[in-house]
Amino acid sequence: MSLYAVDKVCRRVVIDPAFAAALREDPQGALKAASPPLRDRERELLLAGDVGALGRMGANFFLLHQLGRMELFGLTLALYAERIRAEYAVERERWAQAQRGD
Amino acid sequence: MASIVGALGIPHNPFTALGIARGDDAVAESRQLYGELERQLDAMAADTLVVFTTDHYNLFFELSVPIFAIGTAQRSSGPSDYPMLPQFEVAIDSELATDIQAAVVAEDFDLGRSQEFELDHTILAPLGVIAPAMERSIVPIWISASMRPIPSAARCHALGAAVARAIAASELERRVVVAGSGAFSFEVGGPRMSEESHVGVPAPDWAIRVSELLASGDIAQLVAESTPDQITEAGNAAGEILNWIAMLGCFDARPASFVQAQRAEGHAYAAWQLP
Repeated sequence: MSLYAVDKVCRRVVIDPAFAAALREDPQGALKAASPPLRDRERELLLAGDVGALGRMGANFFLLHQLGRMELFGLTLALYAERIRAEYAVERERWAQAQRGD
Repeated sequence: MASIVGALGIPHNPFTALGIARGDDAVAESRQLYGELERQLDAMAADTLVVFTTDHYNLFFELSVPIFAIGTAQRSSGPSDYPMLPQFEVAIDSELATDIQAAVVAEDFDLGRSQEFELDHTILAPLGVIAPAMERSIVPIWISASMRPIPSAARCHALGAAVARAIAASELERRVVVAGSGAFSFEVGGPRMSEESHVGVPAPDWAIRVSELLASGDIAQLVAESTPDQITEAGNAAGEILNWIAMLGCFDARPASFVQAQRAEGHAYAAWQLP
């Protein structure tokens, strides 16, 4: 399913410095004020920096990684990457096996 | 009359362009390959570059995403998404863009029009390396190659052919170079990223295969092999091959004048001197 509201947050952190600053100051408040509104679960996962779950739910990775790039919700690009790899560990092993010809 | 005098295939990794701007040794090979494209482009003596590219959610975001669109503004600037890269003001060939849109829509291609836009790194990062004087005007044509559903390779090739007919029919005096921007295998932020980075090249052999087909000029085979499954396996940015395929649709299939792959980067540098 589309996580359009989450994708829009990820877009705004790049193009809207005031929004990015508000997320650093009061992440909960800034997310509650976001439009279109986030679902409770989406907001919880953003606040937790749980990009693995958000990606699994359908967030756009192209946009989602901007949270790591902008170092929001406790993320860095390295931590972002670590969480995506962990979430998709099973698939990644399967892809690696296919590449090795196992 | 306008005519197509050459074609380029250009990677657009913004961090490569940044490394070149900074003089980093790590991008020496890329600097040399971009240098070859610069020489090829200079030999074409072009007035206008028609660049097929894919919006990286900077212009259309997910708000209203045309499958195909053309930019007809008078001027633009950027790269809008990487302020740390050299910034440019550029002329848009609005007259030619308008001719192309009218002719292509008349052929039943739904080519949307954007009259106000910034350009992102997919155009201005590589052009900032190979043509930093920005003396040539630009016509951007966006292909929606990231957000699903994406158009088929055959459709993009046909779009390129229609654009070529539109250029040939234009009464404007223009020497036109067509360019395709992007990679063949690349993942940004997604599950197919590498173990070392938030990006990756999930299908480096596909990049080599594409480069071999470019070298031999077997474009029909390239179109046939650029299936939705192949593109998905090659990464969430691998749809950018459609930009190359649209560019390749602009002229009769032939071996590239120059092509060099970078397997670890999932892309290639290529040029065709035409006719």
